[in-house]
Amino acid sequence: MSDSESDANYFKEVVAEIEAEAQRRSSSGEYPRALLRSLDEEFRRWIPDASLENGVEDTIRSIEAAAYVDPAVPTSSKSPLGRCVKWAVRRLTYFYHRHVTQQITALGIHITRPLRLLDASLKSVNRRLSALEDRLDVDAAARSEVLVGISISSSFEEFSEVLGQHFNQVSGRVLIGDLPNAQLLKNLRNEGVDAYGVASSDTPIQETVDVRHEHLFDHLGDLGNESLGGFILCGIPDYGSVNEQLRALRLLLLRSKPGASVAVIVLHPETWRKRLSPVATDLLYGRPMHTETWSYLLSREGASNIRVTESSDSSCCLITASLL
Amino acid sequence: MTGVHQLVPTISPRDAVGNHTLALREVIRELGFDSEIFSMFRHPELMTDTHYVDRLPPDADVVIYQLSIGSPVAERWAQHAGLKIANYHNITPISLVGKWDGLLAAEVQLGRDQMARYAERCDHAICDSDFNKSELDELGYTSTETIPVLFDVTDAIPDPSALAKLERNRRGTQILFVGRIAPNKAHHDLVAAVRTLRELHDDAHLHFVGTDGPPGYRKVVETIVTHAGMRDHVTFHGSVSQEELVAHYLSADVFCCLSDHEGFCVPVIEAMHHGLPVVAYDCTAVGETVGDGGLLLKDKNPLTVACALHRIGSDSGLAQRLRVAGHERAKVFDRTTTRDRFSQYFSSLLRSL
Repeated sequence: MSDSESDANYFKEVVAEIEAEAQRRSSSGEYPRALLRSLDEEFRRWIPDASLENGVEDTIRSIEAAAYVDPAVPTSSKSPLGRCVKWAVRRLTYFYHRHVTQQITALGIHITRPLRLLDASLKSVNRRLSALEDRLDVDAAARSEVLVGISISSSFEEFSEVLGQHFNQVSGRVLIGDLPNAQLLKNLRNEGVDAYGVASSDTPIQETVDVRHEHLFDHLGDLGNESLGGFILCGIPDYGSVNEQLRALRLLLLRSKPGASVAVIVLHPETWRKRLSPVATDLLYGRPMHTETWSYLLSREGASNIRVTESSDSSCCLITASLL
Repeated sequence: MTGVHQLVPTISPRDAVGNHTLALREVIRELGFDSEIFSMFRHPELMTDTHYVDRLPPDADVVIYQLSIGSPVAERWAQHAGLKIANYHNITPISLVGKWDGLLAAEVQLGRDQMARYAERCDHAICDSDFNKSELDELGYTSTETIPVLFDVTDAIPDPSALAKLERNRRGTQILFVGRIAPNKAHHDLVAAVRTLRELHDDAHLHFVGTDGPPGYRKVVETIVTHAGMRDHVTFHGSVSQEELVAHYLSADVFCCLSDHEGFCVPVIEAMHHGLPVVAYDCTAVGETVGDGGLLLKDKNPLTVACALHRIGSDSGLAQRLRVAGHERAKVFDRTTTRDRFSQYFSSLLRSL
């Protein structure tokens, strides 16, 4: 074995030991979780909203601010003599600096004007696109009316034990979303799983557990790839459109580490149909997919140990698997 | 004489792509070809040595485009009749910079769009890393090859006053990161990791060397530093001279890189060259750059990073082995080796011209 190979193997062993050490410390509660969460929240709090999607207003403002050039050159210096020399030079050359800086400032203004026009044009395009989307999404209002007041979420407390066993060896955080209530999360955390929930903002959840109140897609958009130790996808499989369900699964898989443990909780399609009126069944575009479909989707991603567990009343199912 | 010219959006003497472009021109000239650099924005120091993009000869036989950002210069390259070669240095994904810098976001978006559009027009492509190559391969580029960026590892004499100051203020493990203060470099994650290290183990100080990147990110990192109670344990050194940079490499105990996106990562090589143990988060091109010369972490959970930093700080045998392995690894990217590879590549490719 060459030195390089020997080093590589040794360094891999060291990394494995480091990971085991981190895991041990995390399990024994030595991890400053509250502190790190507060740092994470602080970072998220300060991420600017200005982005390409939100227009370029902030950027233009910063260019305008930067385009202003102050002709009064600083005169501070370590020595009094230096300060005097700088002050004298500034006085003598002020007329020149002012002339140059005025032109630079004027140039800055001329540059930002077309940018402002571009921004206005982009906003107009955005408005037209939104209007077009509204027109294409025919009878969205009717669907919203139907959705109000119906409860079509799975009841999955009875899966807590199976999930606890499935996730107890997981390295890394386990995301549960879209979380309809806190009980499952509490149960898993009691089992020692480093789980947290993501719940849409209008879902009332007690703050005693780690729950992020934001849309699941927004949250997944902010996460890095291969950052999750596992996930439990729920809620969206019960009421999301097929596209939303597939998108949620795709994003969760991208955000999960190799070897992650995953689970999907979904209403039985028959239960879903029985619970809804014919009007709602016809008008809602979201409907649960069969467990066979979820198993197929997971196996297509190379997941192994795919198991389906049915609830005692056969109303919903739990699909568990491990990623390669 | 056969003309093999380069196009680059901006040319500057103290910039990785700029230095690479200048060095590549010398390689091509040594092969006996006529080679010039054409750019839209030229640094005042290079005004006489380079040309404005409009001066590119329409009958040039080969045009090489240095691709690292979106630019109208790319259009000139794509429409040129000569043999087209792209030299890809990677473009930071918009998801990492979009919220911080609107203009940069527009440029990287344009760069990614151009990159996808020109797959069919590009005859050959050279990539700094296999990671960069995989991006081009995915877009349908044919004839792609990985050759690292041409750069000189700084061997300047360390600034004695900077070195003395760093040694004088030394308390605990000295952790160094060199890179622009930008969200994709994840300085905030380093702060969290070092905070955890201090919480669990021992005294440590984090040194950031590098210029400010997108507006606002530096302030956010400083806010997090304050929030974490780390104001006395984190130092932003800003842009430093080559002599000061060497002083930092020599006085630190470990180089830690937790970047979320790197197309190559020159500072890692520099750190290894100067015998500094390297620990890095294995993502994008970082893993292949570090290779067997450092510790590669599969996740950058602050606890894992803190354990790694503590291990290097407390295990002198491991630190020494990392120093030796890193030094060996840095030799792979030695300028002479890379120059020979470029020389072979071009002499073989352009033999028929």
